[in-house]
Amino acid sequence: MKLITSLPLIEILILFISAFLMPFVRKNKNIKIVSVTALTFSFILSVVIVINVLQNGAFYFNTGYIDTILGIQLYIGPVESLLNSLFLFVIILVACFSFFTIDSEIRENRIKLFYIMVNLLSASILGVIFTNDIFNGYVFIEVAALTSCGIVVVKETQDNIKAALKYLIMSTIGSGLILMGIAFIYSFTGHLNIDLIHQAILEDYTQYQKALLITIALFTSGLGVKSAMFPLHTWLPDAHSTAPTASSALLSAIVLKPFAFFLIKIMYRMIGFDLVNQFNIITIILTLGCCGMLFGSLAAIFQKNIKRLIAYSSIAQMGYIFFGIGLGSPFGAAIAVYHMIGHAVTKSALFMCSGLMIEKTGYKTIDNYKGLGHEMPITFALFTLGAFSMIGIPIFPGFISKWYLSIECIHLNQLLLIFVVLASSLLNAVYYFPIIINGFFGIENLKNKEYHSKKVETQKLLPIAALILAMVLLGAFSKNILDFISPELH
Amino acid sequence: MNDLILKNIVKFITPCIQLFGIYIILYGHISPGGGFSGGTIIASSLILQHITFGRSSVHTIFRKDRALKLIGFSLILYSLMKGYSFLSSQFHFPHPPTGVPGSLLSGGFILPLNILIGIIVSCTIYIIFTLFANE
Repeated sequence: MKLITSLPLIEILILFISAFLMPFVRKNKNIKIVSVTALTFSFILSVVIVINVLQNGAFYFNTGYIDTILGIQLYIGPVESLLNSLFLFVIILVACFSFFTIDSEIRENRIKLFYIMVNLLSASILGVIFTNDIFNGYVFIEVAALTSCGIVVVKETQDNIKAALKYLIMSTIGSGLILMGIAFIYSFTGHLNIDLIHQAILEDYTQYQKALLITIALFTSGLGVKSAMFPLHTWLPDAHSTAPTASSALLSAIVLKPFAFFLIKIMYRMIGFDLVNQFNIITIILTLGCCGMLFGSLAAIFQKNIKRLIAYSSIAQMGYIFFGIGLGSPFGAAIAVYHMIGHAVTKSALFMCSGLMIEKTGYKTIDNYKGLGHEMPITFALFTLGAFSMIGIPIFPGFISKWYLSIECIHLNQLLLIFVVLASSLLNAVYYFPIIINGFFGIENLKNKEYHSKKVETQKLLPIAALILAMVLLGAFSKNILDFISPELH
Repeated sequence: MNDLILKNIVKFITPCIQLFGIYIILYGHISPGGGFSGGTIIASSLILQHITFGRSSVHTIFRKDRALKLIGFSLILYSLMKGYSFLSSQFHFPHPPTGVPGSLLSGGFILPLNILIGIIVSCTIYIIFTLFANE
């Protein structure tokens, strides 16, 4: 039992130590092996944690001495364990994909750096998910910010460095806001542990209502910058579209989510549902989520570059997550978490497909992909399935989160919001369907195209296929997953 | 930098700065200071040496690739030690002796951790300087 409760920390330690081992490894091939071995070990441990949580329920882990509240505490509930294992699953598959593509995208002496960054990034993300101590969370957020800038800048082109600098500045401002929020809350509660802060706030929040409001605003804007909440998203399209394919898959699928989840923790575990609903900020999050859903999709319609298009689509999808948080009900937050998982799996597959398309055709613009479905059928079929999930075709996770969001809107008697969800889905269809239709159909498009002429190696397709399979399974077993995570947030 | 006064003063002052840095690192657990501040002081002495006597004077003993390996090694040791101290109480593993409060060899893991931080910080800051110093 003691061993199992310390598994989360061991998981983080394995990833950190493997990252620091890499400078001693000479060959690039061996570095890839070290990286993926560490990730796989952590993934196995994370599965053990999920099984343990299923059997024995949530648990705490105190670092250092057992019975003290002064040390850093980790909390592992159903949501944390599920997010942890699924994120690691996605990271492993993206890392496997990067084995075969990264050599052509970045300089040879940078490959080592890339994998060091990937392992540090995954360790810090696990830290953000697990932590029950807001200052510890801040430290991990900072590590994640620096390493995610690192995996953007490894490519070393001019656009790339510009985008990474923009990202660095924006996310540093975000970190500063979070730190200020922590300082505010520490000054009037005297604690950094989320549970203890919750108790302290419940006891005498009436005296500190303004301070509490400022704290929530600081946390919302700070974490909003990092997870691309609508008006603070400007760094995202540049960073995600110029980075190497594997990096953009990681950034878009994984790196945006832990910050949104940390916001859920702050809102609902630290401050509490009843109290949060008294402030207007929850309405602001809801409004910004709606704006993100609509404007992200609207901006994506006018994009010519496929990677930029998918990056803008990410902003729209993050809008759904903030929409779920902003509903201000436990089930809304559960759907937000479900959408994080679904989007992580889908968006990484989409980015990897687009990377293969760019590699095989040599063009980045969508106009050159006419009839491509005939030339590289499997890649395009996988892309189509991913796009179906984004649009919200039944069975796929995109549909399920939209469906439950609408149902929750009816429960809360906010019928107008359903139209926002509907409009956003239609807008998604407007920019994904032309790519698919022009890819597969049209006599003009298919002229002079030979079937299966641009063959993609099987090892590059396998990770994408595994992700799409996981996506379908997530959709099919959505009821079980929602049952698993929603009592936690009640 | 061919100024005679500068060269002679730097020759004299560099060991003093480094000794002061080492003092701050070693006494980090019983007085103000610690790994980070001591490490920056040692790095500043290396930077001073680099500016006055040129790149080669530092690089004969302190090459960049070696420094990176030193950082990696220190980080591994650091994470192993810190991980051990986080996990050990769960399993009742032995702790290092805490010693008499106020003496140099006290505080369990804090002294070795401070030394490792000092190594990491001094190497990192010097490497950051070399990135911007054009030769």
